[in-house]
Amino acid sequence: MKIRSLVSTLALLALCISSSAQETAPTPVAAEPPTDEWEGIVNIDASVLLPDYREPWNAGEPSGGSGTGFLIGKNRFLTNAHVVSNATKLVIRTTNDPEPHPARIVHVAHDCDLAILEAEDGKAFEKLKPFDFGGIPKLNTEVIAVGYPIGGDRISVTRGVVSRIDFRPFSHTQVDSHLAIQVDAAINPGNSGGPVLQGGKVVGVAFQGFSGRVAQNVGYIIPVPVIHRFLKDVEDGKYDHYVDLAISDFPIENSAQRKALGLNGGGIGVMVADVEPAGSAGGILKRGDVLLSMDGNPVLNNGLIRFEGELMDMNEVVERKFAGDKLELAYLHEGKETKTTVTLKRFDPYVKLGEQYNQRPRYLVYAGLVFQPMDKNLMDAHQMRDPATNYMFDNYLTEKLYVQNPEPVILTSVLTDEVNTYLAPYAQSLVEEINGVKIKGLKDVQTALATKGDKPDFIVIKLLEKGRPLVLKRDIADAAHPRIMQTYNISEDAYLGAE
Amino acid sequence: MKPQFLFPLLLCSSLTFAQGPDLEPGTPRMIPRPAVEKPEAAPLQTNPAPAPVPLRKRLLVEPSAVINTSSLLKVNVTYQSHNLQIPWQKEGASGRRGLGVVLAENHILVTAQMVADATYIELELPDSGQKIPAKVIALDYEANLALLAASSPTKEEAFFKNLKPMSIDISSRIGDTLSVWQTGRVGELIVSPVRVSKVMTQGYVVENAAFIVYEAQGIIRSEANSFTLPVAKGGKLAGLLLRYDSKNQVATLLPAPIIEHFLKDVADGKYEGFPSLGVEFQITLDDQFREYLGMKPDQPGVYISSVAKGASADKAGVKKGDIMFSINGSDIDSRGDYQDPQFGALSVSHIVRGRAYVGDEVEIKVIREGKEVVLKSQLARKQAEDYLVLPYQFDKGPKYVLNGGLLFQELTRPYLNSFGQEQQGGPILRLMRIASSPDEMEKEGKKKVVFLSAVLPTPSTQGYERMSGQIVEEVNGKKITELADVATAFKEPKDGIHVVKLREFPFILHLDALKVERDNLQLMSGMFRVGDLTRLE
Repeated sequence: MKIRSLVSTLALLALCISSSAQETAPTPVAAEPPTDEWEGIVNIDASVLLPDYREPWNAGEPSGGSGTGFLIGKNRFLTNAHVVSNATKLVIRTTNDPEPHPARIVHVAHDCDLAILEAEDGKAFEKLKPFDFGGIPKLNTEVIAVGYPIGGDRISVTRGVVSRIDFRPFSHTQVDSHLAIQVDAAINPGNSGGPVLQGGKVVGVAFQGFSGRVAQNVGYIIPVPVIHRFLKDVEDGKYDHYVDLAISDFPIENSAQRKALGLNGGGIGVMVADVEPAGSAGGILKRGDVLLSMDGNPVLNNGLIRFEGELMDMNEVVERKFAGDKLELAYLHEGKETKTTVTLKRFDPYVKLGEQYNQRPRYLVYAGLVFQPMDKNLMDAHQMRDPATNYMFDNYLTEKLYVQNPEPVILTSVLTDEVNTYLAPYAQSLVEEINGVKIKGLKDVQTALATKGDKPDFIVIKLLEKGRPLVLKRDIADAAHPRIMQTYNISEDAYLGAE
Repeated sequence: MKPQFLFPLLLCSSLTFAQGPDLEPGTPRMIPRPAVEKPEAAPLQTNPAPAPVPLRKRLLVEPSAVINTSSLLKVNVTYQSHNLQIPWQKEGASGRRGLGVVLAENHILVTAQMVADATYIELELPDSGQKIPAKVIALDYEANLALLAASSPTKEEAFFKNLKPMSIDISSRIGDTLSVWQTGRVGELIVSPVRVSKVMTQGYVVENAAFIVYEAQGIIRSEANSFTLPVAKGGKLAGLLLRYDSKNQVATLLPAPIIEHFLKDVADGKYEGFPSLGVEFQITLDDQFREYLGMKPDQPGVYISSVAKGASADKAGVKKGDIMFSINGSDIDSRGDYQDPQFGALSVSHIVRGRAYVGDEVEIKVIREGKEVVLKSQLARKQAEDYLVLPYQFDKGPKYVLNGGLLFQELTRPYLNSFGQEQQGGPILRLMRIASSPDEMEKEGKKKVVFLSAVLPTPSTQGYERMSGQIVEEVNGKKITELADVATAFKEPKDGIHVVKLREFPFILHLDALKVERDNLQLMSGMFRVGDLTRLE
């Protein structure tokens, strides 16, 4: 499962490989129409708007980046989600054709960092042969990475071997982990989204690596099973995300643990340490159960499973499945073996803990008080220091705070004015209640502000772990609101999300 | 899920490679800095020493004062703090040098900080260099004061023969010029004048109590004996130097009224310490808030936002939401200040902590539901041990239970502070929050927060090596409310297995009771040389 891998990025320092706008030196014009074997590997130039979570009413900061993509079908290019995230304009270029081709996103899957693009006019690519996919390459076999990394404008090829096949955190969202293949071919900013080939077939998409200060020659590629899953998921025209068992397992290495849990050796079974109530296995598996097998495939003491001839994280079995698919589980509950079938679904609460893209920040401003829903983008942008707010974010999953408080709302800032000047020190606090209405989401703020509480002349905002309520006189605050909106150049007083 | 992602190596790695935060030499390692403290720590910064000042010039500073070097003693302290993360070990020994003030009955006054974790204390005559061992006879870490006496009765009389006790002067006001005293190498007096510019309340060296301080401007040169320095007014003791910010040339002084309070308390034979009210309050300057609370425009007072259970105010019946507007006849303004006859506007906490004693009657006036209510009780002091999370700990080693390799400790402030600011994510953040809002845990009936602080690698802890920072809820079916419960519960394994239930992932640990016993023997005498497996005192 992917949820808590969040913390690992502390050590990982993964870098996303999409270089910032490359300087565009004039490219020599090819005389002959291209038939080059690399011609289906394209450079993708993205102009992006980085959303502004501090001033959420602003459009954001313009920026740009460049990555690689490759043809996988008729006018279909595969690339990384992070190459095209937050893009306002996309342009595709091949290595021998001087013409920039405007493009658009067809599908994007942030949780596995993949996206499909199409050129607005696909004619130019009709003659090119799409790339075919291979399988999972063997360890120590040679692969090449092709793309448009930093260091020049023309296409680049680097060579290396497959170093490792493992379940890894994906740095794009920082909370998702999937199968990834480590290669020692140089993979640099700009390689992102480019194919990694073996025997002319695609065995992966280059997507992340370590900064040179952390590790050398460690690049990661998204392997074919993850790509195929994505392509299959979007066959119905939309992306449905990964499903998740949403349990935390704990390896069984200790003899006392083995005895207490009722295991008699043999290396089979992993302890279920925690089960998310909102996840696929919620209400079925319990803490202290021992998971014995998935779809008849035995789970080893360390949570690994033999799958397609390789030892892999047991979650790989779940990874290959889609929303609504069934999974057969065998487990020990209080020493008794039980079999059950669970229906897999997506586990939503973890999404807030990761980076999100292509989202317009939601907010509500009233009388200079800015309310925003808690998520990682917001926490990072505001560099939260309030201990209660940080606690909520850090323990949103681990303490299952999401059950009571699905969308925590934070009073992120106070745009000061005569009406609210005494409230400024309370910025960054978590909002618990407004006018007696419990706040479980940003929309509740709008409803609650309109609600008249015990003292109808006042707006009373209760904050988490703050000694006093914030109080505004309703008539004064209503009068101040338009003035503050004008002073601080805010055109809309709320964006509550797309309906 | 891969469990290793859950736990940044924070706690466990610091156990094996324990390194405290880097502090300047001479700074007491375990003393947490109060939140209000200036960037510079207590001891004077060592600056390039200026040329010696001729005596004549110094006399000009305070022409009328009798410079009484015979009231000062050098105090040399060797101290050794406990390692908070490897609780059976002590840190390296180190030294502090400061000045003590001779008081009546051959007692010597120094700051508590000076003698914290002391292993050996000696007094030295500044002129002759003669030394005598000493002991602590009274100590208050909150007020940062300690009283010493010679511990060698045979030499005492000769040693103190030429020393003259100093008396206390509590009359200092804003605007007064005071003298910071230091001694040179052979006992000559070095005087630095400072001018009192502010009187306010702040924490001294520990975080749970605030007292008044004098803030004074002036240049203080740095001498070797820079830890505790007396501050005099007309030859009498007006305070002790608490800290000096050399950049802004601001000295913070522990003032005579607090010293006098301490000495009076000691003199009656039973030291009770400084009382506190036990409330948190919020200012009421905000007109809309005042109107909401039903306060009249000219109504003074502050909004009580929390009342500590069992504290003086709680006993008197003060409730959250009350408007407290008077204590012992002094009016409290909207900021929580009263008009002190000597110092002007000063935080109301001084009326209780500085001007009253434990056991004194206190009269609190509040407005509740629009009506004036008079509340009374006897003032009490919340002892450090009464806190869910111990606010400070000196002289004693932290409590621990080590069983099989699992190390259990009680959560304390010093433990949390032993992690640098940048390490305060994950488990430390979670434990920090418990320390700052203990109500929930107290409601659950916990007297202390017991947690698994680290795991030593042994055969019985196989698979658990990376655990750390989890709160312990149950051991062998017994609820854990303090560390002693853990030691007791481990005596009764079921079917040869210990079961430890944790509040966080992985929620449950099993240990083989037989292997645990074997490992315990190894831990005591083997590689780790733990010595004692528990410290519960």
